[in-house]
Order: sequence, then structure tokens, then C-alpha cells
Amino acid sequence: MDLTLVGQGLLSGLLFGGVYSLMAVGLTLIFGVMRVVNFAHGDMMVWGMYLAWLLATRAGLDPYLGFPLCALALFALGWAVQRGLVHRIVDAPHEMQILLMLGVALVLENAALVAFGPDPQRVRSELRSATVWLGPLFVDVARLVTFGVALTLTVALWLFLARTDLGRRIRAASDNPYGALVIGTDVARVYAVAFGIGAACVGAAGALVSPILPFQPAGGLSLSVASFNIVIIGGMGSLLGAFVGGLLVSLAESLGAVFLAPSMKELVSFSLLIVILLFRPAGLFGKRAT
Amino acid sequence: MTDRIRWPKLPRRAVLKGAAAGAAVLGFPLPLRAQAPVVKIGVVHPVTGPLAEPGQACRLGATMAAEAVNAAGGIKALGGAKLELIFGDTQTKPDVGRTEAERVINQGAQLLMGSFDSGSTAAMVPVVQQRRVPFLVDIAAADPITANVAKAVKEGQQKVQYVYRNFPTGSSFGAKAVTYFSEIFKEAGVAPKRVVLMYCNDLFGQNAAKGFQAGYAAAKPGWEIVDVIPWPEPPQDLSTEVSRAKAAKPDIIAPITRPASAQLLLPEIRKQRVEIMGIVGPGSPGLYEAGQLAVLKDDLEYVMSAVPWANFKNPRTQKVAEDYLKRSNGKTFDTNSGYSYDGIFVIADALERAKSVDPDAVVDAIKKTSYGAGLMQYAGPVVFNEIGDNPNAVTTMIQILGQKPVAVWPKEAALQKFVFPRPKR
Amino acid sequence: MTAPRLAAVAAVLVLAALPSVLSSYAVTVFIFIFFYAYLGQAWNIVGGYAGQLSAGHAAFVGLGAYASAMLSARLGLTPWIGMLVGGALAAALGALIGFLGFRFGLRGFYFVLLTVAFAEICRIVALNTEAVGGALGLYITFTGDPRHFQFQDNRMYYYVALALMLVATGIVAAIERRRFGEYLKAIREDENACEALGVNTFKYKMLAMVVSSFLTGVGGTFYAYYLFSLQPNAVFGIPLSVEIVIRPIVGGAGTVLGPILGSFILSPLGEVSRVYLSQGSWSGLHLVVYGVLLVLVVLFLPEGAYPAARRLLARRAR
Repeated sequence: MDLTLVGQGLLSGLLFGGVYSLMAVGLTLIFGVMRVVNFAHGDMMVWGMYLAWLLATRAGLDPYLGFPLCALALFALGWAVQRGLVHRIVDAPHEMQILLMLGVALVLENAALVAFGPDPQRVRSELRSATVWLGPLFVDVARLVTFGVALTLTVALWLFLARTDLGRRIRAASDNPYGALVIGTDVARVYAVAFGIGAACVGAAGALVSPILPFQPAGGLSLSVASFNIVIIGGMGSLLGAFVGGLLVSLAESLGAVFLAPSMKELVSFSLLIVILLFRPAGLFGKRAT
Repeated sequence: MTDRIRWPKLPRRAVLKGAAAGAAVLGFPLPLRAQAPVVKIGVVHPVTGPLAEPGQACRLGATMAAEAVNAAGGIKALGGAKLELIFGDTQTKPDVGRTEAERVINQGAQLLMGSFDSGSTAAMVPVVQQRRVPFLVDIAAADPITANVAKAVKEGQQKVQYVYRNFPTGSSFGAKAVTYFSEIFKEAGVAPKRVVLMYCNDLFGQNAAKGFQAGYAAAKPGWEIVDVIPWPEPPQDLSTEVSRAKAAKPDIIAPITRPASAQLLLPEIRKQRVEIMGIVGPGSPGLYEAGQLAVLKDDLEYVMSAVPWANFKNPRTQKVAEDYLKRSNGKTFDTNSGYSYDGIFVIADALERAKSVDPDAVVDAIKKTSYGAGLMQYAGPVVFNEIGDNPNAVTTMIQILGQKPVAVWPKEAALQKFVFPRPKR
Repeated sequence: MTAPRLAAVAAVLVLAALPSVLSSYAVTVFIFIFFYAYLGQAWNIVGGYAGQLSAGHAAFVGLGAYASAMLSARLGLTPWIGMLVGGALAAALGALIGFLGFRFGLRGFYFVLLTVAFAEICRIVALNTEAVGGALGLYITFTGDPRHFQFQDNRMYYYVALALMLVATGIVAAIERRRFGEYLKAIREDENACEALGVNTFKYKMLAMVVSSFLTGVGGTFYAYYLFSLQPNAVFGIPLSVEIVIRPIVGGAGTVLGPILGSFILSPLGEVSRVYLSQGSWSGLHLVVYGVLLVLVVLFLPEGAYPAARRLLARRAR
């Protein structure tokens, strides 16, 4: 039992968890507020990555500085998708919404293919190779930064929802849309903003992750599936759940890679998912369904 | 309360008329036109989907080859017949692959070439066997594709084998790699002991890894595979896998990657400061392409990989590679484009000798092939054995030197001397 | 015979006569229309009528396919029987998933995720299990021998696929007419109310799941012996589950003709958009069109094409 290996596995898993958390926060917001399952989540993230790549290659902007622009662009996309598409079928049966987002996912993935080609890309950033050594263990600085940003973003989002007026209205509309309508909230606008924020989060995630993860148009699907895994385990609609869920899933996969064959590490997260679905579907931090 | 099925009052005549019209469009052959003789070849690759990059390379390679054949006068034995390529896209899906094979044959394809991924290729086998269309597999590694057909013919369940492959089979990749490893270590005068095999856990990776391990078991070389680390493809994170490799104290890391995983693996090896004599791959994509070099830069320097490669000592190859660089916006003429290019020439050569497009005559000619003008590195002329494979299709050890992939082993193919062990950073 | 019955018989006769005038390519297109309609119809039982959305039905296809392929390769068992074994194994998996999902009260999106998780687990296990070929998968030798569930003539496959589609449709029609169908529809509308009325929703949902997964498993054998190779990513993967689900949803989930109509709309659409829009640097554009069409259908024909068509014709009849 190589303790260094286990220790490194834990550390790497924890830090990479920041990446996962960042992906999941946007998704949980969208689902928590509107009960919309954003199947285009992974593909939106891939677009965030490509936008960061464009900024880096055309404008020389480092993704760690440029991610707010990506967030803004994805905000607009999310807002448009909600306002233009999802809102029209807000009363339709569940399958319709899933199918709609699947269609959006298809469009996004293949638009990226037409625009950027199929090759995997990666963004160059100064931070990419920096490492800090703690004895025999190493810390990947890029991942540390992403972890930090994920934490900050989650806290910022939480403060936004808890303290600001718009945030409160979003929470009200999510808890009780009819009631919110009654008191005069423009529910449609609130939903659009919420979707936009969720998309902005995932756009920022994509930008921040673009130096770490190679990305290609076909990668959206697995990112979506991973995000859903995290959000269910952590608890739909809970920011804390998304954050902790991301860390947990990453840790589980990392330890799975240490002790089992690494090619089976996804098995660990799916098994965890099933256990959570059966015994605590609200997830670790989600509200229990009444 | 029952809800009886209420059938729509569809005007039956409209339905039937529509169906007949559709059938006419789909069913009747294209109108004959008086024109110069033409041989139609169906060229089917995954030009969209996850394998779009190699698929598009294959299509471009085939296109350029057909243009070259036509510019040189076409198939003289058939009255100067030009090659006309009918393209198909498998989208890397077996059902689409089968449908595309049927479609190009319906549009008049008399021969078929394709299709890169083994699933789609296997789905096309029954089509060509049913329709009697000679099928040259330009790239696909799974051994059973040809072996199964050979077996069916031997056992009398099929009359003629229409499927032939001009590409190293999955099992031969691995065996050759083991030989190259030992030869290179000997030539360099060093004796690395510990090799860690790391591979992407998809069809190509698993197959190549199995082949490598089988070759290793058979050859019993002076070095040892001390750990085998597969990862799910495509991976999001390889830090733990590399930590595991490091814990095995390797002298050599032998990676089998895809472009995406290579972009994660190589920087990770550097970041974790894994002290090794070199990175020597048993053969995989991701370690030499222009796109990969642009992204990975120094991380790829001195990396070796045993891949099917073009013979750059041949001036013809250099010319074609230059053209390819221009037409593909900067890509290297490599395995994919190269084998598709050679595939068209092998077909043209068979047509010249068959002097006809009759399927059985063409198959006879293919079986007797001895084509020595290929652009790829072969261990002899292109020939086909009883299974339908080309035993002379081999791999070459290439190394990234000066940010360019160069053939370094075996000696007769080498353009430069290899650098091993790699210099300390 | 009533007019609708006559129309149905006429349609079947037309379909049966088509292969004699169609090219092999067109026959192949129809084979896939029928095959995916069959899988969609099987899904329709639990996803459309019972309203339990499963996005993991590929697991049943894969299980049935691998089972019959392995039984044929190792024991020489003819796939005509192997398909029943495959179907039974798929039904067992369906029963497990159903039991876990329904006993633990998973509904809606949570049930969807459970099915996805199981399909992904099947995929990863198959990918890593040497005995079933791992990532390389299984390759089936083409012999053209009917005893091996293979045919030298493409048109025979057409009739098999057509028969599968008709059988599944017949089963769904029978379910629709009986009380079983009523219960399923009631459960889909309001499961809580059903339970309050004392209906054993668990039993009916389980039954729907088992029948659906059995039929899907049988379909897996057709897949294996028409495409001749099984790879975990293709046969257990999410894209296949999506193909299965899309047809009934676009055509009309919970209706007898929905999956068939959906298949007749989507398959030719995919064909046309791939053939005409997949050239050179525009590769991928056809999938964009596919996605846009999907969005449009969802926005403007949410119940599916079939109920919308029915309403349109009813209005015209007035």
C-alpha cells in the first residue's frame, strides 16, 4: 500500500473536484429553479471552452482573465434559450423539455464541429505547468486556482440568491411559481435570468478549465452525464450540494483509479449515483421531496 | 371507460401514391448517359462524429490518389477509364455504415474502400458479400473483419471472399513494437528494465495493448512490464493514473493514446516529474500529428511511437506529402491519409490486371497483387495472404525530433538516428 | 371490416410488396425504419403508456445482443432460440431496474437517471470484460445461413424487421384495448391518485417494464445479426438510447402508431440530411438541422406528430 500514491490520489482528486463543482453549480441552479433538465449543459461548457480558446488565440487573452467574457456570452445564450424555447413549453409534459434540450445540445455540438473542426484543442496559459511541491506530493497550481474560483463562485452565487432582490425573486419563483405570479413577479423574466446565470456559470467553468482539459465538440455528452451525476449526488437545487458533490465524485473516481483499474473509475461514480438515487434521492444536501 | 383505437381517416390513395413516388425515386437506377468509361469506387469513412479528424484525412488521401491515377491516364486496361469516387459518411455508427455502403453501391459503386472504425467496417462485410462488391479495407485494425470471411469461405458458407485489408492488423502492431523496443535498447547500448504500459481503454487502445502484451509474453525480452494502467477514453483527468505510473518506478513509459488523452498525459508526466529514460509508444495516434505538436510542443519532443508510417525516403511520398499539407491546411501526411492513398492505387493496380470490373475477376486480381509502388513503409510489396490481410504492412518507429515526426527505426527506413535515452531536462 | 382496419391491411400489403420494386439501399433504409420503430414501440409500453421515462433502454438491446451472440459462438445455439434467451435476460435486468426504481419511489427525472446509470454500468463492465471481447467487442461471421439468423438476401431482413414491428405494434394495440392499458395510462396521468384508489401501481409498472425490456432484448439479437459486430460503446451507449426514445416521442408517446410515424419521419430525415448536407467542411451541418428540427417539433407539435395529425384530419372531416 503505497501511502504516497494514496495521498496523491486524495489530493489530486480533491483539487480536480473544483473543476467538477464548477460544472455542477450552473446545472443545479437551472434545475433547482425551473425544474429544467439542461441536457445541453456539457455542450454549453464546450462552447465556453471554445470561446476562451478564441479569445486566447485571437486576442491573446489568458483564460484566467478572460473567463468573465465567456460567462457573459453564455449568459446571453442561456437567456435566449430560456426565453425563446424553454418558456414556450413550460406547461408541456416532461419528455418534451428533455427532447428540447437534446435538440439544443445537437445544434450546439455540431455547430461547434462546423465552426472549429473535430480536433481536440487546449488553451495555452502561463499557469498551465506550474506545480508546487509539498514533500513527495505535488499540487497542480492551475487546478488549485480553479478550485479557488469554484469556491468563490459558489459563495458569490449563494450570496446573490440569499441577499439580493433579484436573487430572492428567483428563489420565490422556484419555490412557488404561481404564488410569485400572484404577487406580480415577472416569472418569465426571472426564469430567463436564472437560466442565463446557470449558463454563465458553466461558461466560466469552461473557460477556466480550457487550459486543463482538452476539448472537442464531441465531448459535450460525457460532460453532461458527469454533471448530472454530481448534481444528483450532491442534491438538485443545492449550491452546497453541487460543490460538495463535485469534490466527492472526483475523490471517489480518483481513489477508484488508485485501487481499481483506472478505466473502471466511472463505475464508481455511477454506482454511487445508484446508491444515492435509491436511498437518498434528494442527494446529500437537497431538500427532501414532500 | 375504454378508449378504442380511432384510426385516422387517411386518404388511402394519397398514401399509396406517395409511397409509389418515393419508391420510384429510391428504386430505379440512374439514367444511362453516354460518357467516357468510368470505374466508380465507393469511399466511406467517418467524416463526422468523434472520428471525424482521421475520417476526413482518409477521404482527402483517397481524393488525391484518384486524381493522380486519373491524371496519369486512368485505368489503361479499361480504355483509360477514370476513377470516380462516391463518398459516404459512416458517422462512426455501424448502422449508418451499412446504409452508406448500400447507398454508394446503389449509386453504381463497383468497388468499396473504407472505413476506419472496425464496427462500421464489420457492418459493411455482409453487404459486399451479398452484393459481390470487392471491398478493400484501407484502415481498420480488428482481426476478425477479414478472418471471419476467410473462415466462412473455407467452411463453404460463402463462395468468394470479397473483403481484403491493406493495413497492419491489431495483433501485428503489438508484436512488432516489442521487437522494436528490444532492438532500439540494444542499439543504444542501454538496458532499461521497467516498462509501464498505459493505454486508452477503447477499441484501438485495448487491442493494441493486448497485442503488445501478447508480443511481450512471446518474446520474453530483457525488460519487464511492471504495471498496466488503462484509463477511460476520453479522460478528463489523468493525474492519478500518472501518479500510479510514477509509483511503479518506471524506466520507460509506453503510452497508447488518442489525441485528447495525449494532450492530458504528456504534460502530466512532466508536471509530476516522472524520471524516465524515454516515452516509447507501442503505436497510437496522438503522438505525432501537426495539431498535437501545435498544442503539446516540447512535451512531445523525443517521444517515440511505432505507427504505420509513410516512407519519406521515397521522393514521390515527399511530393504527395507537400500537396497534402497544402490541401489539408497544414496536416501531416500520415497513417490515415497515407493508407487511403495507397488503397486507391492498390485498387487501380488490381483493375489494370483484372482488365474488367467483374467482381470475381477483380477479386482474383487482388489475390495476386504484388504492388511495390506504395507510399507507406512496407516490409515488401503489397500482397494478400489466405486471410485477406497484407503481412507486409508494418509499423515504423518514429520520433519527434526538432518538433517534427521522423522515422528512426528500422535502419532501412530511418531518416535520422534516434535519440535515446532522452536528454535530462 | 371497418375502414381503419382496411387501411391497416392495405398498408401492410403495400409494405410487403415494396421490396420487389425497391433498390437494396432503399430496402436497408426501410429495415432501419422498421427496426427502430420496433425498439421505439417496445419502449412505448413503459415510457409512453406507463409514463416511466427510460433513457437506458440500450442496456436491454446490448444484453440481448451479447447474450445471443455469445450463445451462438460458444454453444452453437441458433439465434432463433438465443433471441428468446437474450430477451429473458434483458427482462431480468428490466425487472431489477424496475424493482429498484419503483420500490424506492423514483419518479420522473430520477428514474431517468437510474436507467442511464444502469446502462452506463453495463457499458463500462462490457468494455472491461475480456470474456465478452472488451472494447474490441464481438464480431459475427457472415454466413448467410438462415439457421444462424442470417440471410444472403437483404430483402429477407426486411420481412423479419417488418414482422418484428408488426408484432410489437400488435402487442401495444392489445395492451391499449385491455384494462392493463387503462391502468398504465391512469398511472401516467396521476400516479398518486391511482394509489389512493387502491390500484397496485407497482405491479402494473413492473409488468410494463418487463414486457418492454423483453421485447427490446429480442431486438438486440436482430441488431447483432444485421450489423455483425457488437461494441460496448455502440450497443450500450446513450446515443442508441436516444435513437430509441426519440421516435415515439416525436411520433406520439402513448399511442399505437406514434413510434411508427416517428420512425417514418426521423429515419428518412436523417438519411436526407446526411446525404445532402454532409459534404466536406460542412460536415456536421446535417446534425445541426436534425437538432433544429427536433426543437421545432417539440415547440409546435408537443404531443407528437401522430396526435397532431389526427386532430388535423378530424378537423378537416368536419
